[in-house]
Amino acid sequence: MNLLEVRNLDIDYVTQEGTLKAISDVSFDLKQGESIGLVGESGCGKTTLAKSIMRLLPKNGVISKGEMLFKGEDIVKKSKEEVRKLRLKEIAMISQSAMNALNPVYTVGDQLIEGIRAHSNATKEEAAKRAEEVFKIIGLEAKRLKSYPHQMSGGMKQRAIIAMALTLNPSLIIADEPTTALDVVVQDKILNQIIEIQKQINSSMVFITHDISVVSEICETIIVMYGGKIMEKANTKVFFKAPYHPYSLGLQNAFPSIKEIGEELISIPGSPPNLMKEQNGCRFQERCPFRTELCQKELPELKEVGEEHLIACHYPEKVNEFREDAKKRETWEGVRNRLIEESVGEA
Amino acid sequence: MLKYIAKRVAIMLAMLMLVSTMIFFLFRAMPGDATAFIVDPSMPPEARELMAERYGLNDSKWVQYTIFMKDLVRLDFGNSFFYGRPVTDLIKERMPATLILMFSAMIIAYLIGVFGGAWMAWKRGSKLESAGVTFSLIFRSAPTFWVGLMMILVFSARLRWFPAQGMRTSGYSGDTFAEIFLTLDFLKHLILPSIVAGLYFIATPLLIMRNSMLEVLSEDYIEMANAKGLKEKTVLYKHAARNALLPVVTAGALFIGSAIGGQVLIEVVFSWPGLGREIVQAVTRHDYPLAQGAFIMISALMMFMNLVADILYAVLDPRISYK
Ligand SMILES: Nc1ncnc2c1ncn2[C@@H]1O[C@H](COP(=O)(O)OP(=O)(O)O)[C@@H](O)[C@H]1O
Ligand SMILES: [Mg+2]
Repeated sequence: MNLLEVRNLDIDYVTQEGTLKAISDVSFDLKQGESIGLVGESGCGKTTLAKSIMRLLPKNGVISKGEMLFKGEDIVKKSKEEVRKLRLKEIAMISQSAMNALNPVYTVGDQLIEGIRAHSNATKEEAAKRAEEVFKIIGLEAKRLKSYPHQMSGGMKQRAIIAMALTLNPSLIIADEPTTALDVVVQDKILNQIIEIQKQINSSMVFITHDISVVSEICETIIVMYGGKIMEKANTKVFFKAPYHPYSLGLQNAFPSIKEIGEELISIPGSPPNLMKEQNGCRFQERCPFRTELCQKELPELKEVGEEHLIACHYPEKVNEFREDAKKRETWEGVRNRLIEESVGEA
Repeated sequence: MLKYIAKRVAIMLAMLMLVSTMIFFLFRAMPGDATAFIVDPSMPPEARELMAERYGLNDSKWVQYTIFMKDLVRLDFGNSFFYGRPVTDLIKERMPATLILMFSAMIIAYLIGVFGGAWMAWKRGSKLESAGVTFSLIFRSAPTFWVGLMMILVFSARLRWFPAQGMRTSGYSGDTFAEIFLTLDFLKHLILPSIVAGLYFIATPLLIMRNSMLEVLSEDYIEMANAKGLKEKTVLYKHAARNALLPVVTAGALFIGSAIGGQVLIEVVFSWPGLGREIVQAVTRHDYPLAQGAFIMISALMMFMNLVADILYAVLDPRISYK
């Protein structure tokens, strides 16, 4: 059964300069117990998508189209109070910024207890006991509950936030780059803990990162986003062996841990599209080494290319050729030259 | 913390000595002959001389200063020239009236300011918000005495809801604190001046609260509080306002100084028998001892309030620890 079904979701940000289409026509399913890794360059809409699931978008962000069925009920249509009841209890977030996500004037324990008590009739003592339990699970001493955020290290704070997300055994955990603020050694430990616990309580997870190597270790499914759209969705194992989309091929080139030792890193030239502007054709076409006229005119639909493997590209049949060429530096140099020519042409 | 407070109190005392010295010499540098006010010029010269001698006005400034400081340590400010009674007694009599009026006004200003400011930030961009800003600035910019007189005109002269001046109806007398201040009559007298003073004070807490609240509302921990599924009101008041309050407290400490100026005006307009009005009268009467005493007391009050604000800040913000 699907825990979450996102259907044709559009999210806009209304700004003074105009409307920014942060998410366009995004659809995907998340099964009970499944964890999805959401990857893509900064600005592709990962955080926006994550926040919309909790209806936590900033004031200028609007879900302009689509539905998000959580346990069969559309989150988009729910009232404020209904959404409030879902938060933490059903859907919990581990946010991007461990440093500032705890209120400086209350102890960490009080902040946990408050969350627990917002969703149950638990007494203070019962809630405190539960807080101690989750602290133990996450590897923090119970006496830390009495600490104020400023008395804790970054790693401890992030653990406390994870503990918070776990207190009520949510069905869905949304982790938005949960470790970016931490140093590498701590990052690994905490990542492993998150996964372990997620498996233990059998909750589903949306794990957001811009580092696809992390996804290969911890998620069953990967969704690659670009310019507010899904480019590819696949089983992680399949994806890392045989990616389809030219953008996915480019991403894999750009990450060291996936490449075998000795191979050189190649980055994708150019930058993501300006989502304020009207987009024509495929979102990635400007930077795609294999683009054709069709790509510039027509938006490719998300199509199945294998079992639960979806891509949005006009040329899935050419994938073998693409994979070969994408390994070559010249292929991407070609894009760089094309981009330079185009910008000269415009000027 | 206790050590910190002790240190601050010691510094406060030293500063008070300095302030007292300055006040002493300032008054001596003022134009006008003090003897002319306390000693009737129509008296024979010998009698005048005698009086001046008795009040110590013939001694050198230095001698006067040493006596003044020595007495000060014993909290003796001498006798008022005008009333002929110990200044300490006069201050004791006038101080409660001033404090009560000032605190009522502050409570009005801070209660409305803090809650209103938080609410205005929440309702950012609405008509009510801009109305709130305008309203508070009008009362800040309008001359206090004018606002006071208008209020008297409307609420006392026209509507006859409140008495226009003083702090009790004439003929009423009481001796103990309760008899003077814990009466309905006193409350009636208190309302109008404390509203006028409150309106004058309100802009500071209201606007600082609003701005600081706007900043706090974009903090990550507010999003986190929302993500926890807390009620909107809990997020607004328990999380956002609680943090936004910190700059308001800091500003409050600085604000107390300027508040005293407003207080003097209010006391004069409403004939409020407090220390502020007494100062104005004492200065025009060249009543050095009383003016000096009152000024020193007000300085002490300001320093004390500053200390209170600092301590309050430490209580409100666990990140601050004084050593
Ligand atoms: N409050 C906002 N107002 C306007 N634009 C926004 C806002 N938040 C994000 N955006 C824009 O929406 C796009 C997606 O942002 P985001 O979801 O944060 O991406 P990611 O998390 O993948 O880095 C970006 O172009 C970003 O500039
Ligand atoms: Mg992000």
